[in-house]
Amino acid sequence: MEKLIEILEDIQPDADYENCTTLIDDGILESFAILSIVGELEDEFDISITPAEIIPENFNSAAALWAMVQRLQNE
Amino acid sequence: MSLVSAEFLIFILISAGGYYLIPKRGQWIWLLAFSYLYYLSSGVGVVFFLLSGTLTTYVAGCSLEMLERSVGDTEIEKGTKKRKKKRVLILTLVFNFGILGILKYAGFFVENINLVFHTGFSFQTVLLPLGISFYTFQSMGYLLDVYWGKCKAEKNVFRFALFVSFFPQLLQGPIGRYDRLVEQLYRTHSFSMERIGFGAQRILWGYFKKLVLADRAGVVVNQVFQNYTDYMGITVMVAVLCYSIQLYADFSGGIDVVLGTAELFGITLDENFKRPFLAVSITDFWHRWHITLGTWMKDYVFYPLSLSKGMSRFGKWSKKRFGKKTGRVLPICAANIVVFLVVGIWHGAAWKYIVYGLYNGVLIALASLFAPVFRKGFEWTHIDPKSFGWKIVRIIRTFFLVNISWYFDMALSLSAAVTMIKNTVLGFRISALYDGTLLQLGLDRLDYIQLLIGVAVLFAVGILQEKGIRIRERISSYPLLIRWGIWMILLFSLPFFGYITAGKGGFIYAQF
Repeated sequence: MEKLIEILEDIQPDADYENCTTLIDDGILESFAILSIVGELEDEFDISITPAEIIPENFNSAAALWAMVQRLQNE
Repeated sequence: MSLVSAEFLIFILISAGGYYLIPKRGQWIWLLAFSYLYYLSSGVGVVFFLLSGTLTTYVAGCSLEMLERSVGDTEIEKGTKKRKKKRVLILTLVFNFGILGILKYAGFFVENINLVFHTGFSFQTVLLPLGISFYTFQSMGYLLDVYWGKCKAEKNVFRFALFVSFFPQLLQGPIGRYDRLVEQLYRTHSFSMERIGFGAQRILWGYFKKLVLADRAGVVVNQVFQNYTDYMGITVMVAVLCYSIQLYADFSGGIDVVLGTAELFGITLDENFKRPFLAVSITDFWHRWHITLGTWMKDYVFYPLSLSKGMSRFGKWSKKRFGKKTGRVLPICAANIVVFLVVGIWHGAAWKYIVYGLYNGVLIALASLFAPVFRKGFEWTHIDPKSFGWKIVRIIRTFFLVNISWYFDMALSLSAAVTMIKNTVLGFRISALYDGTLLQLGLDRLDYIQLLIGVAVLFAVGILQEKGIRIRERISSYPLLIRWGIWMILLFSLPFFGYITAGKGGFIYAQF
C-alpha cells in the first residue's frame, strides 16, 4: 500500500490519497493520470490491467486501487 | 422529420400522450413502435441499415455471453474460448464500422486515389442513413461492454432494438450507454406533471438557442466561409466568433430538445454539454463539449489502445530513451493523438477534419508533456495557478485556441482554412468594426443586438449552472406569475426574435 501511495503521489501530487474516495468522481484523476498509474502498477506489481478494469469503482480511492492490485496478483 | 418542425411536435405529443394512456407494461413497446415510425419517416430503405446493425449486434452479444458461460476450465479451453470471443467481436465491429466507413468515407478515398494515381474511379455518394454514426457507436459500445464483462447481453431482441433506436437520441445523440439506459427504457413510468413541465421547458430552451442564436449567427458564417476570398481581418474573426455561437447553440440546442423529449417519457439521457466556453484547457473543453463522444472515445479507443501490447512496448522503449517521467507520458500522448485523429475523421471525410482532430490531439499531448515545465514556470514567476485571475486567462486562452480549430472545422477545405487564417492576420483593419462592413454580411443592426442579448442570456445561464444552480428547479420555486412570465418570454421570443426563414436547414450534427 505504501508503494502504491508513493506511485500516486509521484504521478499526481496534491491529493489526499489516504482519505479521498472520489478520485474519479471529482475529476482528481483524469485519463492521462489513470493510464500513467496503470503503467506503473503493471511494472511494479507484475500484473496486467485490461480496459475492463478501468472503472470508477477501481480508481476512486487508494484502497480500491490496492484491492484491484491484490485481486489481479491472485488471478 | 426535423426537431424544429410542427410534425415533430405533433409526433411527440401523440407518442408521449399515448405512452401514459396505454397499460404501463406496454410502454417500452410503444416507444419502440414510435422509434421505428420516426425512422421510417426518413425513408423505408434506411431501416435496412438500422435493422442490420441491431440484429448483428444482438446476435453477437448473445454469442459472447454463451461462449463466456461455456464449460472450459483448462488453460487450453480458456484460450480457445478467448479466441472465439475475439473473433465474434472483431467480425461484428468490422461489419458495423465497415458499413459506416463505406457510406461515409468511400467517396473521400476514391477522390484521393484518383488524385494520387491519376485514375478515374467514381463512387456514387449516397445520403447517410439517419443517425448511423450515433447508433453504430452506441451499439458497438454495448458490444465491447459485453465482451469485457461490464454488462450482461440483452436476451430480448425487441428490447435491444429499442436501446439502439430510441427516437429522441437517434438524430444527433447523445451516445447512450447500455448500463445507464437499460433500466430506464424498460421500467414503467407514471405520469408526472412536474417532469412533463421540465421536459417541455428544456425543449423550449433548445428552440431558443437554435432559432434565436444558431440560425441568426449562421447567416454571417455562411456568407463569410462560402466566399472566404472576399473577406479579411476582423470580418473573418467575427464570422469565426459567430461560428462558435452557431455551432454551440445549434448542437447543444438540439441536444436540449432531445433530452427534453426523453424527459417527457421519464427517461434521463446523458448530458452532452457543460458550459464548454468556460473550459480552462483543451482537455477541459473536451470534457465539456460533445461529452458522450469524448467518453466513448476514451473508454473504447483511448484506454484499449494505450493498454495494447504495442503501446506497452513503446512505453518501455521510451522510458529507456527519455527517462521515467517523459517516457511514461509519451505512449499516452501518442494514443491521444490517434484518438483525436479518429474524432477528426468522425466529423467528416475531408483533410480539414483530419487536421482539426490532430490540432486538438497535439495540443492536449503537448500540454501533458510539458506539464512539469509549466509547474516550474509557476514557481519562478510566483503565479498562483489556482487564482481566479489565472483561471480567466486560461479561459480566454482556451477560447482563442478553440476558435482557431473552427477554421478547419467550418472552412470549405484545408487550403481555404489556411487562406482564411492568413487573411485574418494580414488584413486586420479595426475600422471594419464600425464602417458598416459587418452590416453587409446578411444581418442588420437589430440582428446583431438580438444576437448579443441572446449570448448574454446564454452566458448568464451558464454562469449560474457553473455555480451549481439548477435553473428549472429554481424557476419552479418562484411565484406563479414570475415563473410563467419567464417561460412566456422565452416562448414568445421564438416568433418575435427567432431567425425564421422559409428555406431553413436542419441541425448541423443531424448529418453525422
